[in-house]
Amino acid sequence: MKITLNWLKDFLKIKELNEEEVADLLTMSGTEVKKSEDVGARFKDIVIGQVNEFSSHPNADKLSVCKVNVGDNILNIVCGASNFKKNDIVPVALPGSKVGDLKIRRSKIRGQVSEGMMCSEAELGLSSDSEGIMILDGNYKIGKSFAKSAGLDDVIMELEITPNRPDCLSIIGIARELSALKDIELNIPDYNYSLEKENNFNIEIKDYNLCPRYSAKIFSNVPRIESPQWLKNRLIFCDVRPSDLIVDLTNYVMLETGQPLHAFDKDLLHSDKIIVRRAKKGEKIRTIDDNNRDLNPEMLVIADEGKAVAIAGIMGGKQTEINQNTKNFLLESANFNGPSIMRTSKKLGLRSEASNRFEKQIDPYLTIFAIKRFQVLLERITGHKENAKIYDNFKKTKRNRNIVLRSSKIRQVLGEDIKVGVASEILSGLQIDNKVKGKNLEANIPSFRYEDLEREVDLVEEVARIYGFNKFGSEPPAAKQSMGGYSFYQKKIRQLRDSLRDIGLAEVINYSFISQENFDKFNLGEEEEFNKLVKIINPINEDFQYLRSILLPAMFKTLEDNVKYKTSDIAIFEVSKVFEKSGKKLPIEKNKLGILLSGRKEQKSWDNGVEYYDFYDLKGMLEYIVEKFYPNKDLKIKAKEYKFFHPTIGGLANIDGIDLGIIGKVHPSICRGLDIEQDVYYLEINLDNFIKNIKGFKNFMPIPRYPSIEMDIAIVVDINIKHDDIVQLIKESGTGILKNIRLFDVYQGKQIEEGKKSMAYSLTFRREDKTLKDREVEIEIKRILSNLSKKFNAKLRE
Amino acid sequence: MDKDVNKLVNRLEEEFQNFKKDLKETTNLKELEKLKVNYLGKKSLITTTLKNIGSLPNDLKPVVGKNTNIYRKKIQASLDQKVEFFESLEFDKKLRKEKIDLSLPGKKPELGSKNIITQVIEEIEEIFIGMGFKIAEGPEVELDYYNFEALNTPEDHPARSLHDTFFISDDVLLRTHTSPMQVRYMEKYQPPINIIVPGKVYRRDYDVSHTPMFTQIEGLVVDKDINFKHLKWTLETVARKIFGRDRRVRFRPHYFPFTEPSAEMDVSCKICDGKGCRVCSGSGWLEILGAGMVDPNVYKFVGYDPDEFTGFAFGIGIERICMLKYGINDLRAFFENDMRFIRQF
Ligand SMILES: [Zn+2]
Repeated sequence: MKITLNWLKDFLKIKELNEEEVADLLTMSGTEVKKSEDVGARFKDIVIGQVNEFSSHPNADKLSVCKVNVGDNILNIVCGASNFKKNDIVPVALPGSKVGDLKIRRSKIRGQVSEGMMCSEAELGLSSDSEGIMILDGNYKIGKSFAKSAGLDDVIMELEITPNRPDCLSIIGIARELSALKDIELNIPDYNYSLEKENNFNIEIKDYNLCPRYSAKIFSNVPRIESPQWLKNRLIFCDVRPSDLIVDLTNYVMLETGQPLHAFDKDLLHSDKIIVRRAKKGEKIRTIDDNNRDLNPEMLVIADEGKAVAIAGIMGGKQTEINQNTKNFLLESANFNGPSIMRTSKKLGLRSEASNRFEKQIDPYLTIFAIKRFQVLLERITGHKENAKIYDNFKKTKRNRNIVLRSSKIRQVLGEDIKVGVASEILSGLQIDNKVKGKNLEANIPSFRYEDLEREVDLVEEVARIYGFNKFGSEPPAAKQSMGGYSFYQKKIRQLRDSLRDIGLAEVINYSFISQENFDKFNLGEEEEFNKLVKIINPINEDFQYLRSILLPAMFKTLEDNVKYKTSDIAIFEVSKVFEKSGKKLPIEKNKLGILLSGRKEQKSWDNGVEYYDFYDLKGMLEYIVEKFYPNKDLKIKAKEYKFFHPTIGGLANIDGIDLGIIGKVHPSICRGLDIEQDVYYLEINLDNFIKNIKGFKNFMPIPRYPSIEMDIAIVVDINIKHDDIVQLIKESGTGILKNIRLFDVYQGKQIEEGKKSMAYSLTFRREDKTLKDREVEIEIKRILSNLSKKFNAKLRE
Repeated sequence: MDKDVNKLVNRLEEEFQNFKKDLKETTNLKELEKLKVNYLGKKSLITTTLKNIGSLPNDLKPVVGKNTNIYRKKIQASLDQKVEFFESLEFDKKLRKEKIDLSLPGKKPELGSKNIITQVIEEIEEIFIGMGFKIAEGPEVELDYYNFEALNTPEDHPARSLHDTFFISDDVLLRTHTSPMQVRYMEKYQPPINIIVPGKVYRRDYDVSHTPMFTQIEGLVVDKDINFKHLKWTLETVARKIFGRDRRVRFRPHYFPFTEPSAEMDVSCKICDGKGCRVCSGSGWLEILGAGMVDPNVYKFVGYDPDEFTGFAFGIGIERICMLKYGINDLRAFFENDMRFIRQF
């Protein structure tokens, strides 16, 4: 919300307000000043002048040379406009001033000296379209500052009003705050009024819950004149577009008091009756913004006996709008139920300055004051006296309450001893009546704070924020026997991230969403494990349709994006939740780790060639993690087909029967479909399973006392024989002395028969009780080779 | 006889002096080899003397043998020493031919990176752990009850419009803040409570300064006699640990439905040192978190007695901390995962 300092001063008994001080006081009491602009500075050195005489420029047809009286001087000014006459009063920019971005200087224009510039409204930024010089009326005194004379020497402040303070959505509300903060007396007029008996005009409220009060007044034969400049200026400063005086005044009074007003053309209403009712099913209305709106019975409307003429509290109807011919109008000043306005506004997608105020629930005691304020201003501007009285339909409800504030409560919540007398003064400053009773005080909450001051603690806050949060100190809480720290799970996740970073992976964070399109591209619909998507009922767009069930599509997108930025070598991981629809209200949330590799490996060395990531790089990373967290456990990959993986390069990873997750090569046609030419490898493991089964720590293994013997064997087998099966057989064939089996070479090629491969293993033998003899190892090797030969037809490679 | 022996010793000494002179003049192994032949070879004085011992009278044999051997050993030792010297010289020469470009890059294992958000979360976690806090985590898909209602934000509350919410169903949503864990935790445990809750949160808002997902750390402290001064101390301490000891800190009143009183905390702008600049939009202060004393209504939902227990809660926006701390000016960069961004941290 925007306010101006001059406007604020209208309601405070003070001559000057300092911009910086006001900004600081408001900000530090909970009304944050987001921005503050001294508008007067824009018009520095622009003064009021009078055209004494003018003649055409000797060297240019379209220019004229003017003598302009600016009070202490007569200036020679060359001007291009022609809309002015002798003795017209105009704004004159003196040399040294700035008009918009134009710097004014003494200069010669086609041989004639020009000592300033006569300005148009457009040049001054006061209107978007204006022709010719701005001609001012006789109220502007020659030689005076233009800004001051036009009411432009003001400061605009943009405030952030918290939703608990609808009373502050007004100049008067802010004046009240400032009055408490700076101890300035308020200057709010007290208007007399009398109410009209409802004989010739009638207000019927069908539902007092939705509309506790409807006040109105009829204005007849109002002269139609334009709004004065000062009024327009204030509206412009507060981001409201000036239009017609009546409409401008409704807006002006709303900004001032916080009470939204609406004026209907009285002669366009179909009856002498206003009905406040729920909309009928299928009812429609065209609003003043020229949109047709579909209404439903959840929405409240203002109607005549014919049809709806306004959506209550949100926007008026086009049909009864004030127009050029309006002579008589009905001024509405009503109070509506906040939540109902909020729902309607949301449903219609229509917000207005009025709905913004109503939805926070404003004070029903404001309606009459606002009408009177409107009347007073109208009279001041037009001289029109309106003798008609005010119609008022009001179902009074209790709008005040007493709250006891104990100084012990202040102490308990704030830790600061604020004397009850100080608290009492603060509340009085905020226009909250209160009486001190010993160490406590009893406050009587006024209607305009009824919604937000409900409990003792609310008063503690009022006292604290005016007193100043920074006036009292800070203190460490009493030392407690509380042990901070990570849980086992959290600690392991942290170690895992560190490990992944240490092997060169970069951590990415993607949005938790997936689109239908991506879901389809990765063929997830056909995968039991990943197709139970949680749907968002109000996504921003199609990218946010579902919560993701797998990290792959988003991580793949990371690859795509980076390829576009010419970074095509990617080694990334992500730790995140995925979501799965369950039978219960809340979906299942699983913690997952995804790793994606693609492109060239980081070239560790300039002396060997380019290497590309392959399946075994990814598997090696998984082995590294497994070795780190599950010492002495073996990782197994069981082939399994997934629609998003290469048909033969993909499977399930497990250790000791604990399923970890999936690993494989992303299906080349998916890659091609997404314009990725390079191979992509992906694994995803379930961290909940992974971490749950980790043992706390490794046990010490005694260092062997006797030396070991290493023997290498190289065998030639059919290419379909799996390494895992070979190892299994070697293990089974060995006795207790075989301690370790390590594959060190796999060869396929010219030196080997086609369809065969050579596998070379290094075997380590050791006895725990004495030094091993060569003979024992020979026997062992012989048995192993014989078994390999029997089972796999393996031949020893020479 | 003595005369003969003396004569021999003199000759041997003379020979040794000659050897030493010659040795001094040798410059390489080849010359040394020649020297060895001259002084210890078949025709050398030492060898011929030893060879002829047999023909000497018996009583002279030991004396002549002993003296000759002394000189033989002396020469041999000097020769060995010199050989070693020349060898090391040769080796050094050979090594000096082995040249590499020390400025070529090392063969370094590549260091990856933890996401900047992860790093800042961990940094903040460590600070709180040091203050005795535990770390709790909660679901990202939440019931309306925990996200709003039990946080004193009933349906139709005006504050709800500040949280544009993604819904899964009428009463299930993506949490809009980490605050629901306050309620979940208090439902499960009794005071004293000292927790922080890091996690992803979601708002239906997507423009230059909003992303539909971002990261928060919630905090909750509840016990007997916890007051606003404790809130101030805790958060001031944390802010200075994150941003530096010389930062000034201030609290401004604010509004949150689930705290009363509520506050926002600012730290003085590092760039202009509080004088006002573009980063702090002229105010000299940067807002970094929201906090407040837990509203008694929240205690009602979890069955605590508001007269017995008081406490404070706070919420820190992690991306904002990252931006201020590292001078990142685009919020969206955090989730675009551009490697040129990611690999910087
Ligand atoms: Zn700054």
